[in-house]
Amino acid sequence: MFITKMSLPRRTFLRGVGVSMALPLLEAMVPAFTATAKTAANPRLRFGAVYVPHGAIMDQWTPPAGDGLTFTPILKPLEPLRDQVSVISNLFRAGEADHAVSVAAWLSSAVPKRTEAEDVRLGVTLDQIIAKEIGRETPFPSLELATEDFTGYVGGCSPGYSCAYMNTLAWADPTTPLPMEINPRVVFERLFGRAGTAAQRVARMERNRSVLDSIREDARELQNGLGAADRARLDGYLDDIREIERRIQQTEVKNKTHVTSLDTPLGVPDVYGDHAGLMFDLATVAYQADLTRVFTFMMAREASFKTYPEVEITIPHHPLSHHGNNPTLISTHAKLNTYHASLFSKFVAKLRATPDGDGSLLDHSLILYGSGMSNGNAHSAGPLPLLAVGGGMGKGDRHIQTAAKTPLGNMWVSVAEKFGVEVKSIGGSNGKVDLG
Amino acid sequence: MRKEVFAVLRCSALLYAIQALGCRPGVSPEPRRSKNAEKSTEGTFVHRHVTKIWLVALTSGLLAWSSALNGPYAAPLQTAVPPAAPPARAFVNQYCVTCHNTRLKTGDLALDAIDPVNVAANAEIWEKVVRKLRTGAMPPLGARRSDEATSKHVVDWLETELDRSAASNPNPGRPALHRLNRAEYANAIRDLLDLDVDVASLLPPDDAAYGFDNIADVLGVPPVLLERYVDAAAEISELAVGAPDIPSGAETYRVRQDLSQDRHIEGLPMGTVGGLLVRHTFPLDAEYVLQAKLYRTNVGTMRGLAYEHDVEITVDGKRVQLARIGGDADLRALFKNENTTALGDQVDARLQVRLRVPAGPHAVGVSFLAKSASADTRQLQAFIRSSSDTYDWGGDPHIDTFTITGPFNATGSGDTPARRRIFACRPATETAESACARTILSTLAHRAYRQPVPEKDLQRLLTFYQAGRRDGTFDAGIQSALQRILASPKFVFRAERDPANVTPGTPYRLSDLELASRISFFLWSSIPDDELLKVAEQGKLGTPAVLAQQVRRMLADRKSGALVSNFGGQWLQLRNLRNMTPNSEEFPDFDDNLRQAFQRETEMFFESIMREDHNVLDLLSADYTFVNERLARHYGLPGIYGSQFRRVTVADETRKGLFGKGAVLMVTSHVDRTSPVARGKWILQNLMGTPPPPPIPDVPPFPEGEAQKSRSVRERMEQHRANPVCANCHRVMDPLGFALENFDAVGAWRTRDGGTPIDPTGQLADGTSVDGVVMLRQALLKRPEVLVTTLTEKLMTYGVGRGVSYYDMPAVRAVVRDAARNNYRFSSLILGIVNSQPFRMRMKAPVEN
Repeated sequence: MFITKMSLPRRTFLRGVGVSMALPLLEAMVPAFTATAKTAANPRLRFGAVYVPHGAIMDQWTPPAGDGLTFTPILKPLEPLRDQVSVISNLFRAGEADHAVSVAAWLSSAVPKRTEAEDVRLGVTLDQIIAKEIGRETPFPSLELATEDFTGYVGGCSPGYSCAYMNTLAWADPTTPLPMEINPRVVFERLFGRAGTAAQRVARMERNRSVLDSIREDARELQNGLGAADRARLDGYLDDIREIERRIQQTEVKNKTHVTSLDTPLGVPDVYGDHAGLMFDLATVAYQADLTRVFTFMMAREASFKTYPEVEITIPHHPLSHHGNNPTLISTHAKLNTYHASLFSKFVAKLRATPDGDGSLLDHSLILYGSGMSNGNAHSAGPLPLLAVGGGMGKGDRHIQTAAKTPLGNMWVSVAEKFGVEVKSIGGSNGKVDLG
Repeated sequence: MRKEVFAVLRCSALLYAIQALGCRPGVSPEPRRSKNAEKSTEGTFVHRHVTKIWLVALTSGLLAWSSALNGPYAAPLQTAVPPAAPPARAFVNQYCVTCHNTRLKTGDLALDAIDPVNVAANAEIWEKVVRKLRTGAMPPLGARRSDEATSKHVVDWLETELDRSAASNPNPGRPALHRLNRAEYANAIRDLLDLDVDVASLLPPDDAAYGFDNIADVLGVPPVLLERYVDAAAEISELAVGAPDIPSGAETYRVRQDLSQDRHIEGLPMGTVGGLLVRHTFPLDAEYVLQAKLYRTNVGTMRGLAYEHDVEITVDGKRVQLARIGGDADLRALFKNENTTALGDQVDARLQVRLRVPAGPHAVGVSFLAKSASADTRQLQAFIRSSSDTYDWGGDPHIDTFTITGPFNATGSGDTPARRRIFACRPATETAESACARTILSTLAHRAYRQPVPEKDLQRLLTFYQAGRRDGTFDAGIQSALQRILASPKFVFRAERDPANVTPGTPYRLSDLELASRISFFLWSSIPDDELLKVAEQGKLGTPAVLAQQVRRMLADRKSGALVSNFGGQWLQLRNLRNMTPNSEEFPDFDDNLRQAFQRETEMFFESIMREDHNVLDLLSADYTFVNERLARHYGLPGIYGSQFRRVTVADETRKGLFGKGAVLMVTSHVDRTSPVARGKWILQNLMGTPPPPPIPDVPPFPEGEAQKSRSVRERMEQHRANPVCANCHRVMDPLGFALENFDAVGAWRTRDGGTPIDPTGQLADGTSVDGVVMLRQALLKRPEVLVTTLTEKLMTYGVGRGVSYYDMPAVRAVVRDAARNNYRFSSLILGIVNSQPFRMRMKAPVEN
């Protein structure tokens, strides 16, 4: 019989988030869990990186030089968040003009080894550098999210380059790409345990509590006649029962006032905007519950053939990006750039609306948004479209113009600094970017 | 020779002088086994031989370490050997202390200082000596060696002494409180509830030690696990009972991209090719949406639309959907429409069906109807793997994923195997309910807790039943109590209680019920069945005849397949196959069909040894194996057609036994080349019981890259290990691996490597010269007791759930001796282990303070 469940995306995902560290609580337990972590006196800084493929129509992205920040057509959706937005211009990435290299060289700032086989080699990516520092305190060191299903893609995805380079933003070490999960339901269950509506989960939680209370007696009986070491093992078990009960109790109190009432998604939504929105919601809740402080999200894949009928874009993204300077195609591409930016801005607005300690989640975040390509028509390596939001940047409403052709890695070194991570260099960096 | 070695030295001259002798200071050959016991005091016995060689070393003019010669080494031998010296003394003095003395501590071992009369006082050290002598691994090649007869005489004497001492002072060890690992948990649920669960999605992975994931010591209880158990208990009880409010969800099964889909896949309907078959548990009688999706190339174009193909979806072998894809219309659309994504989505939409499915497990499949050979639409294909070109949109279509979404519009819990198993009675009236609940729950708890259930435990369950019943139906009450059973530590842990009337720190016999659990978790990785429980509760399990009869019954049961997947899969490292992807540029033919066939072949082979009760040495030499067409093609066996596996006689000597199995050869290779080191290590560790120590730090990289490709792995390896420190272990490991060099990294036969003819010759640690796999096998079979001892140790580790230690070796030897009288039959090993002290007994915890 050929019956196999071997390659469920869920499991692939597990390897990515390092499930051995800890596993999620019920969603409704979340606020209590937060309470056991650091308090508002010491707000934790979260990192995020959101990738869009094929670059942008740069003259509709880049703000004009000069003081202050002007919101160009593509950036327009972010204008309501002006005080939290910094645009960083003139950065260039390493490597040749290629789709796989664009995504691989983004957070790593390194040049991928040219191979279509399994002997891939890149560098550690910024998110993982940061996760190694701040990810240990949370159940999931990092989350890797995407929208397009390419887990089955192996071999070469762009001439000379393995799909591994194109399939993820995150590399734990130079030879370990971390798989990205596209199914919101899988993400949800990993983060919060069982599926169901918010009400079902609360009901289950109460049942779990009575089960926990009752199995305490079993554990005590089991201890009779055991040696010291075995008894100690069960003592730990009894302590765990108490601790979980306490958390459930706190949650029940908080539940009445403070609940993220996200129902479990059924699977992958049909409409892209819903899908991307759900992934952003999951990242928000994961931040809020302090289940992770690091996430990466590939909003679409390099060389994506995705269309966006919900905003009347029916030409697949990749051919569209090769606009050949056709004004109609350029304007459609800019429209798509703006659509992606608008989805991102909804996420940022949600972070701003979510209280966290003495401020909002946005106050305690530093989130990057950009692409590893500049002009998609030419696959060019710069100047790259990049912006950063969140209190982690210090201040917003800025247009940071670096010297021409500054290596992207310089920016990453400075971002890492904001997280208290001192690194000499990242990938091909040769300095820093002054972030004030 | 020795001079040459010195000439290349830069580091500590002392170190290398020792190297020149073949001694390895301070590196234990078995680093995991106790360090402390080997810290002996300054020795007094040193043989003259030593001094002589040191002088040779000195005269080479490179050494400036005169201080090292002070003390016992420079002094003449002080004779303190008792008049009636036991055989070990003279032997050790003559052949061992040259290196293994208090000063050099080669391999962290000083044999000059220990008492060879009272062997029991240093049992751990002597066991190590026995092991090395039995395998012929010591003294090293190039050093003085005794003849086989003398060596055997000494080892026999040492073993007799060690066994005698163990008999008068037994130490059966003390495994820690055991927790069910994932495989055991899943099997227990299967046997308790007749329900298959995807345990990987319910519980976190377990840690492993000593090569197995059922070792009590490392099966800890992190806080998160408790929550997962409680959650899993909820989810499983809902699924088993068929709770009407089970939430809808989507489960996606993925076909590995490297699966070839141009051939029939076993289990799918005849006359189909490709696709996948899953056994899916449908939670309720309800509607479900089945959706297959086709593979798209790495640039997003759906593959295989050039010609018409019919896709069939089946439930339990019955067709529920037949959809046509491809052909002129689709192809025209593909060319006309720039939007390949939308076209692909349109085609995928035809592969969806919404239908009612009764609750319970069903085999759901999706595949392509095979075309007759005359209408073969396939392209000429360069490689066996049908999906090897990830850009090519031509050729055959491939299934990529299969998603089952639901339940929707549920009508009931249905009649499932799980419900039949749980509901031993169905109350006709409300008044009959509580008596029925009592029957159901006492039966379930009895099986789950693996012992009689006292009234107070039953009352706790009934409390949950009543709470559930109050808020819902009878079924809801049972479900609530079932969650309570599954969450209980009495289900999740396997406790063994120290009897009160036994002196702390002394051994005692396990109770019959504890023994029953040990046996069932050993043979079935699961809970005991009713018969075993009954025999144990009647106090009959201790009777040798009853015990043997039960073990034989259980071995014959299907459930003993757990020994194949859990023991065999870990011992032979078959589990690693799944995660290995050979480099597709070096091995473009390699596909998942072959990977699965590798695993299947070796599992079936191991299972045949077990079920047919062969001599376990047949694992190395049996003249049969199991193949299907794909595997036969790989091995070059003609005349085998079809996807189903069949037993075939192996005439080719090189393919006999484990060394001819693709699975073994592939898990011991790198993705792009063989690794004689990994193969040697695999043999030392899994067959000979003498694992090599870990490599020294800062190993220089193996010569790789284009420039190296013209040289054979062996040539590169020989250069790589030129460093004498490395050579010490590698000259033991590598020849074993070199003998297998005729098999490439995916186990195919070859005569050349990188343009160089294969050189499979070498000299093994015991001096035997081998030339290729056949001679290697013969060399290992010369010492059958070594192979059987290693297998026994592995089985005992797995069976008792703790690492086997020196004090277990007398028991291991007893098992091997008894098995030898039974022609080393598989069952004789199992029965021997079940009857051994470590398995039947336990050491009571010492007094606490």
